[in-house]
Amino acid sequence: MTRPSRKPKSPPDGLTTVVVLRLYVAGGAPNSMQAIANLEAICAEHLSGGHKLEIIDVLEDPLRAMGDGVLVTPSLTKLSPQPAAQVVGNLSDKARVLLALGLKPHGG
Amino acid sequence: MAANGHLPSPRATPGPMVLRRVINQLPEGGPERQAIEAGEIDAVLDHANSNVILFPAARRAIRVAHSSPSPPAPHAAPDTPVANSVLAALTSAEYRELLPGLEPVALRFGEVLHEPGAPIRYVYFPIDCTICLLSPTHHQRMVETGLVGFEGMVGISLALGVDVSSVRAQVQCAGAALRMPAARFQPAFRSCLSLQRELYRYAYVKLAQSRQAVACVASHRIEQRLACWILMTSDRSRSSVVALQQDHLSTILGVRRASVTLASLALRSRKLISARRGETTILNRAGLESASCACYKRVEALHST
Repeated sequence: MTRPSRKPKSPPDGLTTVVVLRLYVAGGAPNSMQAIANLEAICAEHLSGGHKLEIIDVLEDPLRAMGDGVLVTPSLTKLSPQPAAQVVGNLSDKARVLLALGLKPHGG
Repeated sequence: MAANGHLPSPRATPGPMVLRRVINQLPEGGPERQAIEAGEIDAVLDHANSNVILFPAARRAIRVAHSSPSPPAPHAAPDTPVANSVLAALTSAEYRELLPGLEPVALRFGEVLHEPGAPIRYVYFPIDCTICLLSPTHHQRMVETGLVGFEGMVGISLALGVDVSSVRAQVQCAGAALRMPAARFQPAFRSCLSLQRELYRYAYVKLAQSRQAVACVASHRIEQRLACWILMTSDRSRSSVVALQQDHLSTILGVRRASVTLASLALRSRKLISARRGETTILNRAGLESASCACYKRVEALHST
């Protein structure tokens, strides 16, 4: 459930190794809550604070999600560093998420 | 995350046809389709109509979370997202610890979750479904000895150190639940004091309910027991409409089908309930409570102990 983003986004200004993530969720729906918890656990273990995560509720801001080309939720997009990548689903497949983030299972 | 609760579309809830159409527009064999098949998706975005379409289980979970009549426990996070009383009683940090092991599932009517004598593979935290617990009697017959809804957990014996079910757990009203593999539940239970407290309290309630049920069967008329059962099912599914098949009721109450029909007719003639196509609707709740035996209020009072 991983594939390169069809619309690569530009990294933030300046050189940085901070991983920039955007997670699209549907309110308090079960898969969305699970995706948040799974992602937070992965970030805590592998990114140790070196990341920026924005959570967007498509029930509150559907137009933004559509503008970003989101098709389903939960949906995680890695914006930076390049290459951009996307994972859909509740992020319970940790290996798949790490692959999308460009991390190795036991790497940091 | 911003507060949720209202859907962006001013239109009526899209039906299954619309959902199917939007899913069909997703790339065939793509990650979105795979995630949908795996049950990991809550909503699809309909770009053509600028609409967000929730899957039924997600819609139910959000609706239930916002219409839950019971206030959260004082120590629970105010934004506790789970409409299951056991999980809602946990602190936000405890709940997040459990979340990676919890999987949302949609349970179908009649689905068997546990069998007597078989190992428990999953525990279930119902959200808006009800599960009846059936005990074997003779000649492969079963009689209902318990009912579990959003207030509890299916598989309580695991919390008491027994990994085999003593009952058949069968879905009575279809709906959403969160489930956790037994192998993950056991260490989580050992390490979470709030979960231990809640489940020990719940085990006490189930024990007291079982005692009350024995007294009920021995003392009360079928009409009273039927009224009691309808009320309890309605409470646990948070709906005044409950699925009721007379064959199934006969099993649940442990009486002949003709007796169930007579009891149902008596309640219908007093305009306390209406019944059609396997569904029973409560028309007069106060009247139905009066028609029920005292066991209903005693059992429900146990939940506030």
